[in-house]
Amino acid sequence: MPTSQRSFIRELETLLGASALLSSPEDLLLYEYDGSIEESRPDAIVFPSRQEDVVAIVTLANRHNVPIVGRGAGTGLSGGALARRGGIVVSFSRMNHILEVDPENRRAVVEPGVVNLDLSRAVEKYGLYFAPDPSSQKSCTIGGNVSENSGGPHTLAYGVTSNHVTGLELVLPDGKLLRVGGRTVETPGYDLTGLVVGSEGTFALVTEITVKLLRLPEDVRTLLAIFDSLEAATNTVVEITARGITPAACEMLDGWTLRAVEAYVHAGFPVDSAAVLLMEVEGLREAAEAQASEIEDVCLRHNAREVRRARDARERALLWKGRKEAFGAIGRVSPSYYVLDGVIPRTKLTPTLLRIEEISQRFGLVIGNIFHAGDGNLHPLILFDHRDPGQFARARAAGSEIMSLCVEMGGTLTGEHGVGMEKNELMPLMFSEADLDLMRRVRAVFNPADMLNPGKVLPLGKGCGETRLQPLPVSATGEA
Amino acid sequence: MSQLAPSLTARLADFVSPARVVADASSLAACRVDGRSPSAILQPNSAPEIAEILRFASAEQLAVIPVGGKTHLGIGMPPRYYDLALDLSRMNKILACEPRDLTLGIEPGITCADLDRELREKGQFLPIAPPFENQATLGGIVAAGIDSPLRYGYGSTRDFLLGIEFVTGEGLVSKSGGRVVKNVTGYDLHKLFIGSLGTLGIITRLNFRTFPLPPRRQMFVIAFDDSSRAFEFCRALVQSPLDPKVLEVLDPKTAALFQSRGAKFLPPDSWLVVIEAAGHEAALARHERDLAVISRETRAAGFVSLGESQRDPLFGCLSQFPSIALAATPTAAIFRVPALPSAIPTLLEKVRGLAGDCGLACAILIRALGLIYVALLSSEQSSLEPMAGSQLLNCSRSMVELFIGNGTLPTIERCPLEVKSALGVWPPPGDENEIAMRLKRVFDPQEILSPGRFRGSI
Repeated sequence: MPTSQRSFIRELETLLGASALLSSPEDLLLYEYDGSIEESRPDAIVFPSRQEDVVAIVTLANRHNVPIVGRGAGTGLSGGALARRGGIVVSFSRMNHILEVDPENRRAVVEPGVVNLDLSRAVEKYGLYFAPDPSSQKSCTIGGNVSENSGGPHTLAYGVTSNHVTGLELVLPDGKLLRVGGRTVETPGYDLTGLVVGSEGTFALVTEITVKLLRLPEDVRTLLAIFDSLEAATNTVVEITARGITPAACEMLDGWTLRAVEAYVHAGFPVDSAAVLLMEVEGLREAAEAQASEIEDVCLRHNAREVRRARDARERALLWKGRKEAFGAIGRVSPSYYVLDGVIPRTKLTPTLLRIEEISQRFGLVIGNIFHAGDGNLHPLILFDHRDPGQFARARAAGSEIMSLCVEMGGTLTGEHGVGMEKNELMPLMFSEADLDLMRRVRAVFNPADMLNPGKVLPLGKGCGETRLQPLPVSATGEA
Repeated sequence: MSQLAPSLTARLADFVSPARVVADASSLAACRVDGRSPSAILQPNSAPEIAEILRFASAEQLAVIPVGGKTHLGIGMPPRYYDLALDLSRMNKILACEPRDLTLGIEPGITCADLDRELREKGQFLPIAPPFENQATLGGIVAAGIDSPLRYGYGSTRDFLLGIEFVTGEGLVSKSGGRVVKNVTGYDLHKLFIGSLGTLGIITRLNFRTFPLPPRRQMFVIAFDDSSRAFEFCRALVQSPLDPKVLEVLDPKTAALFQSRGAKFLPPDSWLVVIEAAGHEAALARHERDLAVISRETRAAGFVSLGESQRDPLFGCLSQFPSIALAATPTAAIFRVPALPSAIPTLLEKVRGLAGDCGLACAILIRALGLIYVALLSSEQSSLEPMAGSQLLNCSRSMVELFIGNGTLPTIERCPLEVKSALGVWPPPGDENEIAMRLKRVFDPQEILSPGRFRGSI
């Protein structure tokens, strides 16, 4: 570590106290990962307890020209919380307080380190909840959700994080504090809140978040439909949409994946089937019942072998366990896997899955599919052994090919995991050099010296002295 | 009117065929913004054509304002300069419509009414029901940030605009977002364009998430003797499991205006809560049952379930509130004020008190329990005489002070030019103004796009 860096760390320690700082090599090791297997080691980790600490940290880092990366729970799947160019990681784990719950106006004000599910639990007594529900919701933080504009199974009906955030308090890279938005449904002027949500920590550090809360539905119906052909399952998804039904969630597992999951979770998936659809409708009792019956009808018309309905909360939890713990199940059967996150128009599900199968055979790699079928958000899982460099390279190449395929189908590179350092070099698949340059200039409005989360979202400039990194595969630690 | 040098006018024909360069007096007058007319109107056909025009305009420092149906040009501050109107009404095609994907891609110049007709044929709709829907274009409605009575159930444009393509002030053709219903790739630049009044770029394509038409719908009107009972009803409704798509509260004056505009069946002298539910028959029956119960519990004076022949005129009135207020008093000042539900009842008492003190009438509509529209009108006694300018100005000034003093940020969406000039229509710029100005300069470095119309003198 250069002398200037050491003096910076000493100053940080003076500022915040030794208990708010980690810098030993063994500590740093723990922060060189997130939910991906991207790796990059920071020089120090700081733990602010309040907004003033964040301002002080940023001001100091600014003076020393040290990059800053915000971090929530480190569950991200695109390397968003990694210190790609070193510098300090600002961990928000101590800023984890729910500052205010306003049930009448259905708002909550939270610090960024509040765990997603903790907020929903805290407001349950008012009959409310926070809608974005990434599968990592037991551990991921709302600050992380804001950075990545996270989704989850239920975003099909309720939208992603940006649909649920009305205001933010920001610390800009020069240490200035800025409030954007507020508690009301809109604020006159440019929608800076909408711009900052999903900026993957490259515009500002977020120190306070005002979110909308939704009313818990009166009734929930969960259905599992079992299919003997993948095509029948995907056609069912399209038909449900065409009939005007918007399920709260509509998840698909293909045959290979459901067998791997069943062996571990015992959710009751028939291991000889080709695909299952896990669907949920919710709302008013009468509406949920009418939609559930209609979905059942569509499934049977598309030759579903069987449609099961969860009879109680326990059965519902079991069905969801098969979905939410799927990634853990895959981890048992493969040393590593690479979770992709692409979106295609849902009408292209069948041809896309066939092409993925073809890619799987051509690369000689197993690719499982478990995804948010209702909104066409694919999560192909490429299995490989990271100890075998040949497999590693093939997984990477297959991943890139699948992402290109999603764009070719009229879709996008990421539906909810973010671009991070995993896909920033793939951005030219969707955006022209001029588009990317405009985004770079917008980033510079907030972060002119590129000191906040450098090396993320946008492709690295050719002349900046850094080798263009290839997107790396992701390990079995992640969830989707 | 600013006068272009004849050589410049001739050069415009290099970018747009001469037939699409319009400069006759009546056309120029129709594109007037706050009394200023452009020197020429250009009718581009494509994004590359717009890019050429804007490169030229940037180089020559010509101020450009995009226009569509010309129904909302009165929103915002008067432009500092105005040389060219970019009339996008020729760019009115549906580029992609995939009902099974719930996605739609359109050019900006299509009118809301035309699009609605096309979508309905496919069993779809967009929850955009603006005033003047026969003329208003989708590009204009998005750029002006206009909302609709469907906001309670479906949110605002921000919630269903998936992406846009646009041309920046420098003439760069660019895009943001995507065409699929879920996407977090890149920065959400398109969110900035909503309500930006054409200050950042010219929108050339809009991608929306569409919604399936519900199988059935049912509108209810619940009447109350006073506002406190109406809001008590709303609180109880919000805590119930019911899931209405429309929730609007009207004061007696607004109700009276609507009565005279086709909704004759509305009960007189009452505060009204208008609700619409959508879905299957059983769900509608449940709404009817439970709403009747809540009405009784909150001592409603009346509860009506509307037939389709009554529903359409009332829905029309709700979406046409600004135009109805302007028809009643052409010099009306219409305020748009986002507010928290808990703050609305007290705020309204003060607003009504103030209007009364000023000797003016006010019509109030509360949209989706989160947005207050207040129209200051000439009082009943003097309704045939024009409002005295100073009376409206003084009352508007006090109204702005009242709203700001109560922690809200009012925008004056419609008002006479004298009020604009004296008060400004935007709330004072906040701390974010520096960032907003810098963003403006990224998109439009020469500041030629709608200069001066936006909040913070942008």
